[in-house]
Order: sequence, then C-alpha cells, then structure tokens
Amino acid sequence: MKVMTLAALSAAAALAQHSDTVLVNPFQTPDDRARGAVFFRSQCASCHGADATGGAGGPSLATGTFRHAASDEGLFKVITKGVPGTPMPGFSMNGREIWQIVGYLRSLSASRMAEQAAGDAAKGRAIVGAQKCTGCHWLHGGGSPRGLDLSTIGARLSVGELKRALVDPSAEVAPQYWLWEGKLKSGETIKGHRLNEDTFSIQIMDGAGKLRGVDKSTLAEQKLERRSAMPSFKGRMSEAQINDVVAYLATLKGDAR
Amino acid sequence: MRAVTLLFAACSLYAQVTYDRLLKAADEPGNWLTYHGQYSSIHHSKLAQITPANVKDLELKWVVQAKSLEKHETTPIVVDGVMYITEAPNVVVALDAATGREFWTYEHPLPDVTYPCCGRVNRGLAILGNTLYLGTHDAKLIAIDASTGQKRWETVVTDYKKGYALALAPLIVKDKVIVGTAGGELGIRGFLAAYDAKTGKEVWRFKIIPEPGEKGNETWGGDSWKYGGGSIWLTGSYDPDTNLTYWGTGNPGPDWNPAKRLGDNLYTDSAIALDADTGKLKWHSQFTPHDEWDWDSVQTPVLVDHEYKGKMRKLLLWANRNGFYYVFDRVTGQFLSGTPFVKQNWAVGLDEMGRPVKAPGRGPSAAGTVTFPGVQGGTNWFAPSYSPVTKLFYLNTWDDYSSIFFAWDQDYEQGKWYAAGGVKAEVQSASRDRLNRRNPSAGYGATRALDPVTGKKIWEFRTAEVSESGILTTASNVLFTGNREGHFMALDATNGKLLWRKYLSGMAASSPITFLVNGKQYVTVAIGQALFCFGLRD
Repeated sequence: MKVMTLAALSAAAALAQHSDTVLVNPFQTPDDRARGAVFFRSQCASCHGADATGGAGGPSLATGTFRHAASDEGLFKVITKGVPGTPMPGFSMNGREIWQIVGYLRSLSASRMAEQAAGDAAKGRAIVGAQKCTGCHWLHGGGSPRGLDLSTIGARLSVGELKRALVDPSAEVAPQYWLWEGKLKSGETIKGHRLNEDTFSIQIMDGAGKLRGVDKSTLAEQKLERRSAMPSFKGRMSEAQINDVVAYLATLKGDAR
Repeated sequence: MRAVTLLFAACSLYAQVTYDRLLKAADEPGNWLTYHGQYSSIHHSKLAQITPANVKDLELKWVVQAKSLEKHETTPIVVDGVMYITEAPNVVVALDAATGREFWTYEHPLPDVTYPCCGRVNRGLAILGNTLYLGTHDAKLIAIDASTGQKRWETVVTDYKKGYALALAPLIVKDKVIVGTAGGELGIRGFLAAYDAKTGKEVWRFKIIPEPGEKGNETWGGDSWKYGGGSIWLTGSYDPDTNLTYWGTGNPGPDWNPAKRLGDNLYTDSAIALDADTGKLKWHSQFTPHDEWDWDSVQTPVLVDHEYKGKMRKLLLWANRNGFYYVFDRVTGQFLSGTPFVKQNWAVGLDEMGRPVKAPGRGPSAAGTVTFPGVQGGTNWFAPSYSPVTKLFYLNTWDDYSSIFFAWDQDYEQGKWYAAGGVKAEVQSASRDRLNRRNPSAGYGATRALDPVTGKKIWEFRTAEVSESGILTTASNVLFTGNREGHFMALDATNGKLLWRKYLSGMAASSPITFLVNGKQYVTVAIGQALFCFGLRD
C-alpha cells in the first residue's frame, strides 16, 4: 500500500478510487485546521451545528466516526459529491478548503479522545468480569444485546465520557436505550427499549433481547422514561476501581475507525 | 387519393392541452393538467367514485421506481391517459397511466457542480399544447415534445454559478411559461420571469429584491439587497378574472443574521400578485418583515370564492410558515384576518394591516434562542386543500415544536452557502432516517381542517411524526395525504376519521393526485423513491 502526500485534489481522489493508493490529507497544519473551522462554520454549521454536534437537519460530525465515510478520502468525496438520498448536497469549495474541513472534523474527536485514562486496564478488565457487565452488554463475542456494545466503546467515548457513563449513566442516554413499558389490553406487560415508533405502532426490544412489534391499538397504557437501565456505579465501586474500568474500556477500540 | 386523405386526417397533429383546457381544468377531473390541478390551486377533484364507504377496497395498481436515490418530490400531471413525472435531478418520464409502463424518458445533463440548497429535487412539470416545460438545476427552462420526449428549445434563465437553481414546476398562463428560482441560502437575488411558450424568449421579469432606484430597495440596509435571497421554489396560482398571478416568496438572506440586512427586506416572505401579461406588481403583503428564522412564504396560494361577513368575496387563503393563517381579498390585497394555527412565541399578534408585532428577544443569537414554531414553521411548501363541498381548508401542520436559532457573522462569497447562522432542533427539518426515536413530547404532526374564514380548527388527525405531504380532497369527501412515517392515508374530510391506510415506507414529499383510467378513478402519490398508484378492486 502506497501512501501519497501530494496536494491531492478531487481528480486525484477520483483516480484513487480505482487503486490501492491511500490519500492522506495534505493540509493538516494547525493553521489548516483553524481555516477548516472557519469554512465549517460558514458552509456546514447551519445544518450540522456550530460545534458540529448536529443540527436541525444534519447529524453530528464530532464523534470521529461517520456514517457515509470510512476515511479522510471518503469525507472528501462526501463533501464534494453530497450524499444521495439525504439533504447533503455536493459543495463547490476548492480542494484545499475541503481538506482543511476534513482536518478540522478529525481534530474534534482527536482532541476529545486525547485524554489518557488514569487507572489500570488489567485490573479494570477483571472488575468488568466480576461485575458481570456482559449480563447487559455485548463484549468479545458474547454477552447480551440489550445494552450498548462495549467492543468498540473506547473508540467512540472519551475517558471523561466513559467515566460519566459509569457514575451517572442517565446523564446522556441515547434514545434507543430509554426505558419503555407498555401494558397491553390483554393484561400483559412489556418492558424494554423503544427502537422505532410511528402513529400506529412501536418497535421494541424487550428485556430478553427479543424484538417485538406492538400495535398501539392493543395498548392500555405506555410509559417512556428518558433514563438508562444501568445503575450508577458510584458507591458500588471505589474511585480507583472506576478509573480502572475506564482504563480498560478505553482500550476497547475494536476495528472502529 | 381517398386513402391518402384518410391517412392524412388520421395523422393530423394532436394538440394536447390548449390554454382553454387549462382554464377549465377543474371541469375535466379525469385529468390532472397542472401542478396544483387547477389555477385556483385548491388540490380538489370532482371525482367521486372512491368514497368513504369503499376506500377500504383500494388496491395497488402499479408502482414506478425512480432510478435516482435523490429525494423524489414529483407531483405528476395526467393528460388523456398519459402521466408525465420528473425524477431527481432532472429526468422526465412519460408513462401509461393505466399500467405505469414508460413511453419515453428525457434526461437533462447537468454540470458536475450545481447549487441546490438541500438536494437536487424537482417538483414537476407544466404542459401547453404538446409541449412540456421543465426547470433545471443549472437554471434553464427546457421545452420538451410531449409525444417524443425530444427537446424543442432551452433558455438560460440565469447564471446557476451564482447559486440559482430551478426546482419548481413552471406555471402556464395564456402563452407564457412562468418560473422562479431557488437559492435563498446562497445569496441570490430572486425573481419571477415569464417566457414565450413557443420560443423561450423572455417576456417579463419581476425582481423580488428591488434594485437602487426601485420602490422597496429602501427596505434593505447598505448593499444587503445584492445578496438578499427572495427565492421562489413553488408554483403559484392564477385568477383569470383578475388576470393576476399569485406567488409566495422565499426568505431573505443571510437567513439567520438579520443584522446583515436592516429593514423589512421587501419583497421577501411575501404574497405577491402580478399582472400576468406584464409582470407588474399589483399588490403585495409581507408576512414576516425582516425575517429572522428562515420562514419562506413559499406556500401554495389558495384562491377561493367564499362568503365573508355576509358577502361573497374573492379570497386568498394562506397558512404561512410563520404559524399564522391569513385571509386576504385577492383583488385588492386587503388583509382581512390572521390567526395563529400552531404554538408560536415570536409575535405578540398582528396589527390591523396584518403586520406582525414581534415579541422581543426571539431572534437568533450567539448562544441560541428557542423559538416556536421551529425552523420548518407551522406548515411549509406542501400543498393544502380547499373543498368546495365541505367548505373547509385542509393542511398538514407541525405543532408544539421549537428550534434553537443561532446567528454568526459571515460575508457573502459567490456560490457559497450564505446563511450566517444555524439551527438545532429535536424535530428534524429534513430527516430521512428510517427510525423515529425522538422524544414524543418535542412536537407532533397533525392533518387539520380549518374554517377558511376564521382559521378555527374544525378537526385534526394527529400523527407521531410530522408530514411533508400535500393534501388532496375529492367531491366524495375523501382526503388523501401521506407523512414522513411512510403511511399513505385516507381520512373522512368531514370529521378527520381515518378511513384507510397503507404503509409504503419512505416519506411523502409531494401531493397525491387523482384521475381516471378507462373511466375508473385512480390515486397516485410519490413516497420514498417510487410512485404508487391505487384504484378500487376490479
């Protein structure tokens, strides 16, 4: 695999599509990133948010993983060509400006993820085993599908975010993990997570990990709570133990890019 | 010799759609001759074979898949058994309305880079004689032979590299084709222009943003008029009695930093009534002077003759993106009434001229300002309907939702996004996510019937998600609409009861239409990437 560092613009990006050449962003100086931030603000932030964490129309671009691009070159293409089937248009900025935006977006997650864990990862691994985290989470090919998959959690959450998730798990919980409970007119109660909803039905993963479609006309009542099923580990573990678990989780990067 | 004469007679050219037919489109409900179905744009059909009693017997007749993954916003026209649709970005298809089978396709080649604000959508076509008219993303108007799909002529409407694009279906009035342009987020200077339908030669042009020396330019601080927006991306209406053509105009630019354009910013966010022959402005009414929220007034101008305070009046009904429902006298432009139809907190109310009295502190800010309704407004461009049978006005609303509006400084640069701010919202503006996991308390969608004079809610059908679908009503009191969830639904137009629904997946961002095939009533709607056609079970 050859690495190319020349000032590769869109034509080169098109060429690279048909070879094993990897395009490396040629504009990655701090000045480039600063200019990328300026271009992002004027050209992208209306939809993706001034801090790139998402807006009224566009998703967050600050996490370091992107739905439509697996590489810098992929990001370059998304910006120049747009994403068919979404409101994302292709943009007419020159190649340098686009690379500068790509560098800026990468820097958002890079700075967030730069913090190093203070604990001992080996001890943390043992604690994760002892606490039976896989009773709810998926890890190393086993466990439960109900909770967040921990296999790549270290690539997605920063050290600070991991710690907060352990101490105050309901502070920020993705909607697919909100607690849903429905009582059917038949008398049955279903508890689980709401995966999708429309006017007439709700799609649930129940406590056993089983997917169930619920027709709203069969519901006597329902409740949606914006909190996590995970308990806080503050008080259940010492500060040092929590730091150890965080250190271990931070190593779980899987093959996430 | 006799045989030759007969052959010649059989081959005399079929002049499909005369202007007279367009004028009387409502009286031939077997066809759907214009984008809005008829010049009054009431999205209502006299067909009555499908009724509240038998609508449950609708079955799928055919599906036509679009070849593009880009957003499918086409509303078809139907002429004597042939349906003409567009697909993104600029493809025209002629279909057999009975079977969905294609007669021909026309593909307009686009440059690699064009400047759509939010996807290379196209909303449809116009027809006059045997010629179809298409607006393109490189800002051209194209005439296409309706029999062959061959291009007859093309006209450059303006320079697309300055951020202009045509996304709307053109409007035919007499011998002219009228179009406006998109580009309100790219610092364009909007206009409406009329072209000779035979030659493509420009006949008149009305500037939405007046130039120095023209009336209205004084409502723009400094040079801001140069990049003031004022797009028109939805087809207008026409009243042959007044010879006025009615259009809604788009937001001023930059969208969210109003300090860049001090003043009322005429004629953005306005209803405008122009002489159809000359393009001269007869009257205007600005819904949101000095708009701070991107509330384009690009809604369908609904023309209705209705009793108002004991007297028949020629009315213009307008549910605006800013959350107020307005009634005008469409001859004079006199404002008659205006009332909020969704939760709003940006205006204290309207004065006697219909001008909003703004609540303080609701504009965008560096830290973000929460304003109701959110950026997509209480409703938007998707077509409402008026039924002469029920005498009710129907619309899809987005209610009890807000957006957080941010402003920042930014200078104009040609071909670049020029909004100088941004928006966050839990109810997404243009979501195409398959999954709806948002907090239900963040807002809801509702199909509503309003009293056309008072704006009072008569009934509503609530949905979990919001809708970008137009509405069709019929003489048999069936109301068809879709939503973002992927449902195509029939409601009872008298009371809002759900009569029938079909899950088609994908969102509806077009208007359902109805027509006859071999004497039988069909209904079509574009949902997701396909056009679906339903009719009663044989």
